Amino acid sequence: MDIIVEKLIKEYDKNRVLDINKLKIEKGSLCGIIGANGAGKSTFLNIVAGLEKQTSGRVFYGNSSNEEIPLDIMTMVFQRPYMLSTTVEKNISYPLKLRGWNAYSIENRVAQLCKELGLTHLMKRKSWKLSGGEVQKVALARALSFKPKLLLLDEPTANIDPKTTGEIELILKKINIDEGITVIIITHNLVQAKRLCHDVVFMNQGQIIEFGRTAEVLKNPKYELTKQFISGELII
Amino acid sequence: MEEIIKGLHSAVLLIFSADKELYGIVGLSLAVSLSSVIISTFIGVPLGLLIGTYKFPFKNALIRIIYTMMSLPPVIAGLVVFLFIMRKGPLGSFGLSYTPTAMVIAQICLVMPIIIGLTYNIVKEKAPNVKKLGLTLGAGKLDSLILLIMEMKMGILAAVVTGIGRAISEVGAVMIVGGNIKGKTRVMTTYIAQLKSMGDYSTAIAVGIILLVIAFTINAVLYNFQQRGEI
Repeated sequence: MDIIVEKLIKEYDKNRVLDINKLKIEKGSLCGIIGANGAGKSTFLNIVAGLEKQTSGRVFYGNSSNEEIPLDIMTMVFQRPYMLSTTVEKNISYPLKLRGWNAYSIENRVAQLCKELGLTHLMKRKSWKLSGGEVQKVALARALSFKPKLLLLDEPTANIDPKTTGEIELILKKINIDEGITVIIITHNLVQAKRLCHDVVFMNQGQIIEFGRTAEVLKNPKYELTKQFISGELII
Repeated sequence: MEEIIKGLHSAVLLIFSADKELYGIVGLSLAVSLSSVIISTFIGVPLGLLIGTYKFPFKNALIRIIYTMMSLPPVIAGLVVFLFIMRKGPLGSFGLSYTPTAMVIAQICLVMPIIIGLTYNIVKEKAPNVKKLGLTLGAGKLDSLILLIMEMKMGILAAVVTGIGRAISEVGAVMIVGGNIKGKTRVMTTYIAQLKSMGDYSTAIAVGIILLVIAFTINAVLYNFQQRGEI
């Protein structure tokens, strides 16, 4: 699903935290959003997800005439996902129950996802007994359970070990290629952005400074701010 | 020390003596306390949910009043209820003075603020995350509310346990509105107070042990549910 953003502004008490004139993230893309803390990345993603309302401007989903937030085919995974106080299995099946899937289909889908994400041995475990990496994988499985068209991720690997990070990256690549799911991921990890993302958006103080192919932006940034950020010299 | 040992010995004998009066007192204590907790739960949980979920004028003032009421001294609750239900009071015509109903009302005044306050705290803590999760997984408003209630169940259970503890152990309110009338409004706590003033320590210890065993059993059962994470 294409995401088209036009003149998107978000202000808190007249303090402008987001000001994006134009952006188009194409269907099937795996797009990274990079930038320092306070750059407006999470605010932007929250607005796309429908969790926050913009002060002005528009976000189109799919094509340039559809502003309706497609809650049914879009989902988001956070840095610290909230787990329902029940088993892994019931966490993953929750979105399917919401959508009225029958018990047989739910069981199959949950089993398939657990197999793909290496969670089969944890299916009956209570969510509060999971490690940070396991929580993140369960949250991802839960988000993917109903086969969304758009997956938004807010620093999903910020607090987890390199092995689990690698596994999550592989899953994201796989669903992006095999199922054509559009993925937008916020990351502070430039190496991860390089490994994972086709395109990258660099944001600073609420604005998009640079947007393009990841390899190109990271190798030959056009703007001084991007250069400073990549070299670690950008101080806000 | 000799008095205590003698009291403990008599207490054990009394507990197993099938004394009708004693078991009547235990039964009334349980009936009054559990009734007040059940009524407080059915009213207090939805109120706590509403206060935690919606914004309205004077919300902060209301929350402060509820928190204050959570530590309301039982004698004050008893006095206020008594002033309303006494023969010359505004509700005097209902003839509630010195009845178990009056005792339930007085205990509701003590337990309800606890249930409301603790439910509000759970909602405040859980609601933002649950709402966000519901939205990102495609839940509607009703689904999100049901999800929030499901996620609150352990916290509500803790609130109920606290409420039971408050109800079954208090003496001041039930003494004022119930009057500790033998065979009618006498409960374990008021009975213990009376036995102490009469110098009958062994019976007082026996009733005290029964009260502790009941409190322990209720808490143990609910704690067990909590540990398993299921209701």
